[in-house]
Amino acid sequence: MNIEPSGEAAEYGRQASRAFAAAGGDRLAPLAEAEPERRGALVEPVLRELGAWELRPRDDPDDLEAAAALCRSAGYRALAYPLAERLARPAGLGTDGLLVVDGPAPRAPVAGLDLRWTAVTLDGRRGEAVVRSGERSLDSAVVAELDVRPLDAAGAGDVALGLVLPCWTLLGMLDRALDLTRSHVLARHQFGEPLARRQGVRFQLADAEVERGGAEALAAYALWSVQSGRAEALDDALALRLAALEAAEAVFRTAHLLHGAMGFCDESPLSWVSRCSRPVRWLPLGLSATRDHLARRLGRHGLTGLFSEAAT
Amino acid sequence: MGPAAARLRGEVRALVAEHVPPGYLGAFTGDPADLEVAQRFCRLLAERGLLCPAWPAEYGGRDASPWEQTVVREEMWAHHEPRGAQYMGVNWVGPTIMRHGTAEQRRAHLPPIARGEAIWCQGFSEPDAGSDLASLRTAARRDGADWLISGQKVWTSYAAMAGWCFLLARTSERERRQQGLTIFLVPMDAPGVEVRPIGSLLGPHHLNEVFLDDVRVGGDAVLGEVDGGWKVVQEVLSFERVGIARYARCERLLQTAPRVLGDAWDGLPAELRTRWARGLVQCRRARLLAYRVIALQGGGRVRPGDAAAYRIAVTRLDQDSAEVLMDIVGLAPPEGPGTGEARRFRLAVEDHWRYSHASTVASGSIDVQRMLLARALLAAP
Ligand SMILES: Cc1cc2nc3c(=O)[nH]c(=O)nc-3n(C[C@H](O)[C@H](O)[C@H](O)COP(=O)(O)OP(=O)(O)OC[C@H]3O[C@@H](n4cnc5c(N)ncnc54)[C@H](O)[C@@H]3O)c2cc1C
Repeated sequence: MNIEPSGEAAEYGRQASRAFAAAGGDRLAPLAEAEPERRGALVEPVLRELGAWELRPRDDPDDLEAAAALCRSAGYRALAYPLAERLARPAGLGTDGLLVVDGPAPRAPVAGLDLRWTAVTLDGRRGEAVVRSGERSLDSAVVAELDVRPLDAAGAGDVALGLVLPCWTLLGMLDRALDLTRSHVLARHQFGEPLARRQGVRFQLADAEVERGGAEALAAYALWSVQSGRAEALDDALALRLAALEAAEAVFRTAHLLHGAMGFCDESPLSWVSRCSRPVRWLPLGLSATRDHLARRLGRHGLTGLFSEAAT
Repeated sequence: MGPAAARLRGEVRALVAEHVPPGYLGAFTGDPADLEVAQRFCRLLAERGLLCPAWPAEYGGRDASPWEQTVVREEMWAHHEPRGAQYMGVNWVGPTIMRHGTAEQRRAHLPPIARGEAIWCQGFSEPDAGSDLASLRTAARRDGADWLISGQKVWTSYAAMAGWCFLLARTSERERRQQGLTIFLVPMDAPGVEVRPIGSLLGPHHLNEVFLDDVRVGGDAVLGEVDGGWKVVQEVLSFERVGIARYARCERLLQTAPRVLGDAWDGLPAELRTRWARGLVQCRRARLLAYRVIALQGGGRVRPGDAAAYRIAVTRLDQDSAEVLMDIVGLAPPEGPGTGEARRFRLAVEDHWRYSHASTVASGSIDVQRMLLARALLAAP
C-alpha cells in the first residue's frame, strides 16, 4: 500500500501548478464563472502542453498517480475546469469524460464546454449525458443540468475512479485554503500582534490541518485501491469522499472565519477556492448522502482493514 | 506492509488465541490472575523474539523492520495489551537507553526488557508540573559521587509493580528551566521511594503517587548528560506518541459489533449504523496517519507536526468510537444464557469507554499536541 505519492508525481504536480499560475492563476476561476464558454480555451492548451490527455490513468499506475497530482494542482489553483472528470473518461465509448451522477436531477460542472460525456450512477448504469442549455444550477455558472440517455449497466468498474479523482481536486483546494489561511494569520495584526500569536487561532489551524492530513492519507489509499483493481475500491472511494467532505467543512469554515470579512471578497483567492469547491462537495453526493451510501454498502461486513475478517 | 508483516500478524494472533483468555481486559484489573497472564505472555513473546522484534539482535531483538514492530503493537493493543506494562519498556524506555545510555547501562537494562522481565514506570509529571513539565521541582543534588533525589511524582502508571523508574529531576537552576533537568534510572526498591496508588475511573494500577525522600543513586544512574535531560524527554515523547496503536482496538471493537449483534444489527437506527461506518473510516484514517509517521521515522526524517496530527486524530477516534460502541451495546438485545460473547463484548466496550476519556490527557494533553502542530505549521517555510 502506497501512502506517499511518488516523487515524480509530486514533481509533475508542481510543474502543473506553475503552468496554471502562468496561465492566469487566480483569475481563471472568476473568468470561468463570468463566461463558462471561454474556460475551455483558457486552460485546455495548458493541459495539452502538460500532456494531460496522454495520461492513461486506467491502464498505467504511474499515470494514475500523475493524474491525481494534476487534479490536486488544478484544485490548488481553482482551475474551474472538469479536469478530474475528463481524466476519468471511460474506455471504448469515444466520449471525453465521465460524470458520476446520482438522483433524479443529475448535474455536473460541465457548462459551456463542447465535450461529450458519459454519465454513470453509483450502481454502474451508464448513459450518454447531454448538457441542458440555458439552465443554471447550484448558483454557479459552471454547473449544468444533464439529460442522460441510458446506455448500459457496464459501468460498475468506472465509479470508483470517477469518485476518487474529484476528491484529489478537492484536496488541492484544501491545501490552498490552509496555505492562504496560514499566510493571512501571520500577516494580519490585531490587538497589536499577528493573529497567529493567539492560541485560539492556532488551535483552529491545527484542527483543520488534522482533517486535511487525514483526507490526504485516505486519498492516497483510495488511489492505491483503484490502481490495484481491488474489489472494495468503491467502498474505499466512498470512505475517502466521506473524509474529504468532512475535511472540507472544517477547513473552509476555519479558513473563512480566520480571514474575516476579507476572505469573502472577490479579490481574495480564498473566496474563489471556496466557490469552486461547491460542485465537488455537493455533486454527485453531499456529505449525508455519502455517509448513507457508505453505511449501506458496508452492511455488516465493515470496511477492509486490520480486523475486517472479524465480521465474517 | 509486506508479506513478513502479514506472516507475523498471523503468528501473533495465533499466540493470542492460544494464550490469552477470551474476554481478557488487560493486566490491570482487580484480579491478580490477569497480571500473571501478562507476565507469562511477555516471556512467551520474548522467547520467540516478538517482544521487541525491531531491536538489534545484540539487545535481544531480531532486527525486524519497524513495520513488524507496528504489527505487534497493533495486535497487542487490539487485544487489550496482554504485554501488561511491558509495552512502555519496548516502545520508549529501551529505544531511549539504546540511544543515550552508556555501554554499561545498555548491558544492564536492555536484556531484561527484551526478556519481558523488567517493568518500568515514567516519573515525569508532578502535582504542579503537568503540561508545563519543565516547571518540575523534584531535585537531585550531588553527594560525593552519588546523587540524592527528593520530591514527588504523580500519575505514575504501574509504579507499584515497576522495578525501575525513568525519572526526570532538576539538577541545576538555569535561566531556561528546560536546561537544568537530568534523567535518572532509579530502582524502585531503593530506600526512600514510596508508592501510593490513586483510585480512579480507569481502574487499578493506572495512577500512582511516588514520593522520593533522599533516594541515593550512583553516578551511573544518570542517562545521557547531566542537565541535558530535556532533549531526551522530547525523544521519549516522540516514541511514546506513536507507541500505542489505539486505532487497532477501536477497529477491532467496531468490526466485531455486527457479528455480536447478529440480526439485531439491522434493527439499529440507520443513524447509528452511519456513525459506525464513519468510525471505521476514522480508524483507517488514524492508521494511515500512524503509518506516515512510522515511514518517515524509518527514513530518519521526523516532522513533529505529523506525530502531533496523528495523536490528535487517534485520540479523537478513541473517544468517538467509544461513544458509538456504547450506543450500540445499549441497543443490543438482552444477553441470554450461553451468550458469553455478547457479554464479553459489552465489558470490552465499557472498558474502552472508560479508558478513552484518558486518551486525550495521557502522554501529554491533546491541547499540547495542537500547540505543537500549530507551531510546526506556522514555522514551515
Ligand atoms: C492514564 C494516565 C496515565 C499517565 N501516566 C503517566 C506516567 O506514567 N508518568 C507521568 O509522568 N505522567 C503520566 N500521566 C500524566 C500526564 O502526562 C499528564 O496528565 C498530562 O501531561 C497533562 O498534565 P495535567 O494532568 O497536569 O494537566 P494540566 O497540565 O493541568 O492541563 C489540564 C488541561 O488544561 C489545558 N491546557 C494545559 N496547558 C495548556 C496550554 N498551554 N494551552 C492550552 N490548554 C492547556 C489542556 O486541556 C489540559 O488537558 C498520565 C496521565 C493519565 C491520564
